[in-house]
Amino acid sequence: MSMWISNLGGKVFKVFPWLYCIISIYPLVYMLFFSLKSNEEILYQNPFGIPHVFHFDNYSRAVKAFNILLFFKNSVIVSFASLIGIILFSITFAYAASRMEWRLNKWTTTYMLMGLFIPIQSIMIPLSLLVKNFHLANSYFSLIVPYISFNLSFSVLIFYGFFRTIPPEMEESAFMDGAGIARTFVNIILPIMRPAIATVIIFSFMGVWNEFTMATVLISDAHFKTLPVGLVSFTGARSSDYGGMGAAMVMASIPTFVVYLIFSEQVEKALTVGSAVKG
Amino acid sequence: MKHFRSNKKAIFLLTFPALFIFSVVVIYPLLQTFYRSFFEWNGLSQPRYIFLENYKSLLHDDIFYTSLYNGAIFALILTVFQLGIGSVLAFILLENKVFGKKILRTSYFIPVVLSVTVVCQLWLTMYNAQFGLINKIFELLHFTYRQDWLGDTNLSIIAITVVASWQFMGYQFAIIYAGMKTIPEHIYEAAKLDGASKVKTHLKITIPLMAETYRICLIFALIGGLTAYGYMNIMTGGGPGTSTYTLTYQMIRSAFVMNEIGYGSASAVVLILECFVVTLIINRFIARERITY
Repeated sequence: MSMWISNLGGKVFKVFPWLYCIISIYPLVYMLFFSLKSNEEILYQNPFGIPHVFHFDNYSRAVKAFNILLFFKNSVIVSFASLIGIILFSITFAYAASRMEWRLNKWTTTYMLMGLFIPIQSIMIPLSLLVKNFHLANSYFSLIVPYISFNLSFSVLIFYGFFRTIPPEMEESAFMDGAGIARTFVNIILPIMRPAIATVIIFSFMGVWNEFTMATVLISDAHFKTLPVGLVSFTGARSSDYGGMGAAMVMASIPTFVVYLIFSEQVEKALTVGSAVKG
Repeated sequence: MKHFRSNKKAIFLLTFPALFIFSVVVIYPLLQTFYRSFFEWNGLSQPRYIFLENYKSLLHDDIFYTSLYNGAIFALILTVFQLGIGSVLAFILLENKVFGKKILRTSYFIPVVLSVTVVCQLWLTMYNAQFGLINKIFELLHFTYRQDWLGDTNLSIIAITVVASWQFMGYQFAIIYAGMKTIPEHIYEAAKLDGASKVKTHLKITIPLMAETYRICLIFALIGGLTAYGYMNIMTGGGPGTSTYTLTYQMIRSAFVMNEIGYGSASAVVLILECFVVTLIINRFIARERITY
């Protein structure tokens, strides 16, 4: 009897991971399918399965009617500019904090890391007033500047930790050989930093590309909306076009999805390291 | 180089941009949140200093209690669902020869990288009372049970929480899986010799050793629950009625829809305190000493 139970237990054990795989993936497959179906098929004839007729026109309609290319462009601009700012500011800060000798070094570094514990929601109200007062409302900067600021603490922590693992002699010998500070940095330090930079890029890109709360509050002009916000506004306007909506959703998910499929190990590591340091 | 390492000008140039932008965009607004919570202000007129009045009104606001309750429900379901399923999946995948391990791990993580909008729109169509996938599944199985998942005052918060749990289960799984992998094999040998069952072994050995990891997961789930906003905004707009309000939702609504900036700031302060207290309590009680093998 107990043999039988443990046997059955073993079977359940082997099936459960696949069962959850279906729960995890099927909604997305369903989305992919309905992005290629007509309303008739989605609602009545064939809600679950592979489309009978592939309606690629859903995609062209989504591009034309929903302005999705504009939202896409905005997301790319905002993400790209934010990433550059994040890396530039945090690498320089982390270098000074880990390598150079100055008073208040410890205090300043602790101060920069405080951002890890501040929930972004808690400063939304003053931030929106600030953006208005600086006349940044409805421009790319109203998102880029907060995105940079909010990702600094994490990136500083990663770079700071990484610098401490590289022996200072590495730069010193290059410096002795007559390379200037800038050359030493570009030729010696940046190449070693590659894994840390990759972690920061992945973590920040995932966060910024998908960011919703700040983008809804700070952007009201449709011309500057990023994908997550843009998608909400058009589904309100054309909520009966399920196929087109599905197509837009699929297109909006492609960048992060592809990045994940290519760098899956690094993405998991970069994202989970984020919560490990916050804890 | 020695000279460079204490060069004041270089230090200033390297640290100033980060310090400046962080101070202006994060720390200054944070202080402003506290400061403004003591005022009555609609954003246009002269602000009026009212000290703790905003906090007193919060205590008499039914929506405030709904928000607290929803935050707690959200955090609780998230924790049980994600940590429970995540742990079981990690046990199974680490111990058994399961076919397609890499595919499974990838499939659990994929929803994490999607935007909250895509996830919410997708589940909105799935929850649809008339032709949504969930009700269709009941139809397929010949149950007569149908539900307007997001239209029911009691159910809607749970329906929303399921979406968040679904999306981030893979995230917690990845953390737990990585944590379990670091437990060395020899720890289990004594238990194996004693003939302890697998369930017992995990309950008595694995889970206590994982305290540090669970602490991280718990904080992530609880803070995520307390600060939830996007899900409500997209799926229900806080409704039906005010039944799916959270503290963040209430704060953004008071500040940007009702133009009660002081009142919204007071909600934000409560949110900060809540997150602070939760983190403090968890850090106090779980994994106070680091475990070394």
